[in-house]
Amino acid sequence: MFTKAIKLFSVLLFISSTVWAEVNFTVQGFVKDQSSGEILIGSTIYVKELGTGAQTNVYGFYSLTLPAGKYTLEYRYLGYVTKQLDIELVQNQEMDVELTSENVQLEEIVINGIPEDQNVTSTEMSTVQLDIKTILKVPAFLGEVDVIKSIQLLPGVSTVGEGASGFNVRGGSVGQNLVLLDEAPVYNSSHLLGFFSVFNPDAVKDIKLYKGGVPARYGGRIASILDIRMKDGNAKKFGVQGGVGTIFSRLAIEGPTIKDKGSFILAGRRSYADILARPFTDVLDNGAKLNFYDLTFKTNYKFNHNNTVYLSAYLGRDKFLFDRNQGFSWGNKTATIRWNHLFGDRLFSNFTTFFSDYDYSLAFGENEMDRFEWNSRIRTVNFKPEFTYFINTNNELIFGGDLIYYTFNPANAIGVSDGVAVDISLDKKYAFESALFIGNNTKFNDAISAEYGLRLTNFQYMGPGNVYEWETIEVGKRKELVSEAHIDGRKSISSDINLEPRASLKVQTGSKTSIKASYNRMSQYVHLISNTTASNPLDVWTPTTNNIKPEIGDQYALGVFKNFGPNNDYEFSVEGYYRDTKNQIEYIDGAEILINEYLEGDLLYGIGKAMGLEFYLKKNTGKLNGWISYTLGSSELKVDGINNSEWYPARFDQRHNLKVVGYYELSPRWTLSANFTYLSGTPTTFPTDRFTQQDYLIPYNAFDSRNNVRIPNFHRLDISATLYGKKYKRDGRLRKNSDYWVFGFYNVYARRNPFSIYFSQGTDRPVPGMPIETFATQVSIIGTIIPAISYNFNF
Amino acid sequence: MKFNITYILILFGSIFLWSCENEITVELPKSEPVVVIDAWINNKPEQQKISVLKSIPYFENNFLPGLNDAVVTVEDLTDDLLYTFDKGEEEGQYIWEPNASQPYFGKIGNQYKLTVQLGSSTYESYSNMNRVPEIDSISYRFEKGNSFFPDSYFAGVFATDPIGPGDAYWIKAWKNGQFLNKPSEINISYDAGGSPGAVVDGIVFIQPIRDGINPFDQDENDEFLSPYSPGDSVYVELMSINYDTYTFLLEVATQTDRPGGFAELFAQPLANVSSNIAIASEATQATPVIGFFNVSAVSALGRRLDPDNLPVEKN
Repeated sequence: MFTKAIKLFSVLLFISSTVWAEVNFTVQGFVKDQSSGEILIGSTIYVKELGTGAQTNVYGFYSLTLPAGKYTLEYRYLGYVTKQLDIELVQNQEMDVELTSENVQLEEIVINGIPEDQNVTSTEMSTVQLDIKTILKVPAFLGEVDVIKSIQLLPGVSTVGEGASGFNVRGGSVGQNLVLLDEAPVYNSSHLLGFFSVFNPDAVKDIKLYKGGVPARYGGRIASILDIRMKDGNAKKFGVQGGVGTIFSRLAIEGPTIKDKGSFILAGRRSYADILARPFTDVLDNGAKLNFYDLTFKTNYKFNHNNTVYLSAYLGRDKFLFDRNQGFSWGNKTATIRWNHLFGDRLFSNFTTFFSDYDYSLAFGENEMDRFEWNSRIRTVNFKPEFTYFINTNNELIFGGDLIYYTFNPANAIGVSDGVAVDISLDKKYAFESALFIGNNTKFNDAISAEYGLRLTNFQYMGPGNVYEWETIEVGKRKELVSEAHIDGRKSISSDINLEPRASLKVQTGSKTSIKASYNRMSQYVHLISNTTASNPLDVWTPTTNNIKPEIGDQYALGVFKNFGPNNDYEFSVEGYYRDTKNQIEYIDGAEILINEYLEGDLLYGIGKAMGLEFYLKKNTGKLNGWISYTLGSSELKVDGINNSEWYPARFDQRHNLKVVGYYELSPRWTLSANFTYLSGTPTTFPTDRFTQQDYLIPYNAFDSRNNVRIPNFHRLDISATLYGKKYKRDGRLRKNSDYWVFGFYNVYARRNPFSIYFSQGTDRPVPGMPIETFATQVSIIGTIIPAISYNFNF
Repeated sequence: MKFNITYILILFGSIFLWSCENEITVELPKSEPVVVIDAWINNKPEQQKISVLKSIPYFENNFLPGLNDAVVTVEDLTDDLLYTFDKGEEEGQYIWEPNASQPYFGKIGNQYKLTVQLGSSTYESYSNMNRVPEIDSISYRFEKGNSFFPDSYFAGVFATDPIGPGDAYWIKAWKNGQFLNKPSEINISYDAGGSPGAVVDGIVFIQPIRDGINPFDQDENDEFLSPYSPGDSVYVELMSINYDTYTFLLEVATQTDRPGGFAELFAQPLANVSSNIAIASEATQATPVIGFFNVSAVSALGRRLDPDNLPVEKN
C-alpha cells in the first residue's frame, strides 16, 4: 500500500513537471491592500500572454516562473481595482503589489470588480471561502456578526439546532471539525453555549471551509477543516473600530508598529448583560457573574523581503458564577508564532509553532467543609514546517510536517465532604501526533488540472498512564475490565499509522463550465466525547488509545461548476458526496462520560455513512446579491448494541437543508438583507410503552430503536437593514470616519421552531394512588421574534 | 461523575426568556405489551411485595394491568431457604408476610434468586443484600434567600460509608409522611460519592447526597418554596443496593427527570433502562420482560424541625 502510493505519486509528479529547457526567470512577491497593507489571500496573478497565472497563498505570496520575455501581469482580487503591470523578465524579479479597494473611489480609474471565475477554474472543490465583507452583510442573531453562524448558511453545513455549539459538515459530528485560528486549533468555538462563536469579526480577515478535497497539508479531523485567518492590522495608519451591540461591545485598534515593517491589531469583546442587569437585581451582589469576553492580538514584523514573523494570540472566556465560590467557566487560549522565509525565489517556507489550550472549571459548595472543585483541560503544542516550491506555472509542490504534543487532563478534581478532602482526579494522558505530507497542484493543460498528495500520520498514546483491557460481556452494555497496568515514563503505549491519499481533478469543459472530482482519506486521533443532543462545554477530548481506535473517513465527491453572465454574474455548482467512516464513537445507555477513569468501558464503536447532493447558486453582481444553498443529505451510523445493531440516522441527520441569503443595495446609504432557512426535522427517539418500578413511571421503546421518528421541520426568516453614515461632510469633503447602524429582526414571524421533543410525567408531584400522567413537550430554544440594534464605527 | 447541570440552565433560562415549550400530541408507534416485574424487597420487619404486570402504551394514563397467575419465589442461595410470595389482594401483587420465626426478610451478605413462573415462561434474576451503615444524624439549617430562592430551611442527612469499595445506596426521603417521589428527587450514592468512576470511599456522604432529601416544590406562581418549615418532619431510609441497581436508578433518573427548556440541549437520547430480570434459558418464545429485582438492607431515621431549637442562621 505504502510503496504503491508513493510510486504513483512520483510518477504523477514526473509527468507533470516534464522537462523544460528554455531559460526561465521568476517573478515573485506579495499582494496587499493599498489602504491597509493587509495581505490579500487568494488574489490572482494572470499572465495575459500565456493565459495562465498563479494565486497568492495564505501569506499573500505568489511566485511565477516563466520563460524570459515581455509580459503583462494582471493582479486581480474581487472587490478591488485590477492592476496591470508590464514587465520585462530578463532576470528574477521581486514584485510586491498593492491593490485598491472598490470602496475607495478614485476618479480616473474605472472600477473593474469582475468576479473571478475561480470556482470554475480552480482545482479545489467542496471548499467555501468567505471574506469578512460578506459575513458582515448577513443578518446576525442579536446583531452580532458571527463567523460560525455565517458558514451555517452554506451548502453541506448544518447544526443540531439553535443554541447548539459548533456545526456539522456533510453529516459529520461537531467534534469531527478542525477549527483553526491562525493555524492553532480551537477546541470549543462557542460563547454562551452555542449562541455566539468565539471569533471576533473585527479581527478576522478570511475564512475557508474545506468540506472535501482536503489538501494534504491539513489533517486531524474527518469531517472538515475550518481555516480562520486573522487580520494583520493596518500597516499604513492607526485606526480604531468597534461597535455597541445588544450583547457585546467591541473595540479594536490597529496600526503600524514600524513604518513599512510591521503592524498590529488588538481586538476585544465583552458581553455586558451582567453590567446592565446589576441595578435591577441583587443576584449579582454576592459575587455572581455572567459574562464572556475575548481578546485577539496579532502583530507582524517584516525583517526584509525574505523574512516575516507573525505572532497571534487569542484569549477567550465564559464565566457563570453564582457567587464568589460557586460557578462554571470555560475558555480557549491560543498563541501562534510563524516565520515566513523565502529560500531563493521559488521556495516559500513557513514555520509555525503554536500553543492551544482549552479548559473549564466548576466549583460548588458554600464553605470550606463541603465543596467540590473540578477542572479539565486539553493542551496542545505544535511545530509545523511547511514548504511551497513553485516549480513552474503548472506545478506547485507543497511539502512539510506536523508535530503535535497533547496533554489531556480529563479531571483535576477535589471533593471535600464534612471536612474530609478526597482527591478524585484522573491521571493525565499524553499523546504525540506526527505527520509528513507532500502534495502537488498541477495543470496538465488549460482544461485539466489536479491536486494530489499524501499525508502520512502517526499517533502515539504515551505513558505514564494506566492501560486497561476490556471485554464485552453483553453487546451495547458496559464492558468488563479484564486487566489493568500502569506504564511509567514517556513510553509509547499504542501507536497507529495511517496513510491518507488526497486527490482532486478538474476538467474544464468550456470557458465557464468545469467538472471536478475528489477523494480524500482523513484520520482523526483525538475524539470529542459527548452523548448529549448538543455538544456542551463540559465535553472532554480524549486520545486514541490501545482501546479507542482512530476515526477514519473516506470521502468521494463529484461536482459540476458553472458560471453565467458576461461578468460571471451567477455562479452555480452542484456537488455530490459520499463518505464512509470507521471507528465512530458511540456510548452505552447510561454512559458516564465525566470524571470516569473507566470511560473506555462505556464507549462503543461503529461505522458511518453520509451522502448528499449540494446545490449552490450565487449572484455576484448588481444591486441584489446573495445565494441559494440547498442540500439533500443523510448521515447514518451502525453500532453493535444500538438500534438492534442496525443502521440508524445520526442525531444531526437532515434530509433537506435550504438557505436563501440576499442583500439589496437600496441606496448608497441603505442596505437591506434577509435570510431564510428551511430544515427538515432531525431524528429523535420516541417511546412506545410505559412501565413502573417502585411507582416511578419509565418510558420504554419496545423495538429498542434509536432515532426512530423526526421532529417537525424548522423554518425561519431573519431580516436586517444597515444604515451607513454620511460619506461626505456638509462642505462636501470626505469624512474621515465611517460608521453604520444595523437594525435587525431574528425569527421575523416568531415561529416556535422545535429543537426537540421530550417525554415526561410533568413537573407536579405524583399523587399516591393515582396513575401518573405523561406528556410530550416540544421545546423551542428561540420561540419569539428577537429585535437587535447595533452601532459600529471605524476611525 | 454525574454533574447536575440543571442549576446552570435555570440561570441561563432566566436570562434568555425566549425559549418556550408547548405540549403537543404525538402519535406513537404501536407495540405488543411486555411483562413487567417490580421486585424491590428489603429487610424491614413488614410485608414484602413483588408485582407482575403488563406494560401499556406510553400515553395511557392508567395503572398497569396485573398478571395474576404467576408463581413467585425468592430463594436464599447462601442459606438455602425458599421464600414463597403468595397472590395478594391487589392486581398482580404477590406478598410475603413476616412471621414469628422470620420477623423480617433475609440476611445481610446473602445472595438471592428471584423466580417468576408465568404460564410456560420462567423469568429469573439475582441480587445481594449488601451492608448498610446507620444514619448518624439529620440536621436542619437556615439559609437567607435571594432573588431565585426564598429564606429556606434545608435538611441534611449524615451517614458514613463503611471502608471498602462497592457500597451503593438509595436514599429515600419522606416529608411529613409523603414520599419525595419526583424523578428529580432520586438520590443515589456510590461509596458516599456521586459515581463509581470518581473514586471515593469511607467518608461522610458528600453534600449533594446529604442535601438530596430536600423537595424543591413551587407554588402556583412558580415561586420556589422553602423545602421545610418549622414543624415539618423528615424521615429518611438509607437502602443498600447492588451496583446494577445503582446503574439502573441512574438511568431511570436520566430518562425521567426532564427539566425541559435549555436543559434539552444537554439531554441524552431516550433509551431503554437496563433490566436485571431475564428469561430463564430453558424457555423459548416467552414474552419479553423488563423490570428489576433488588434486595436491600435498610437503616432509617426521622427528625422534626423544631421551631424552638432553630439552627444558627447562615448567610
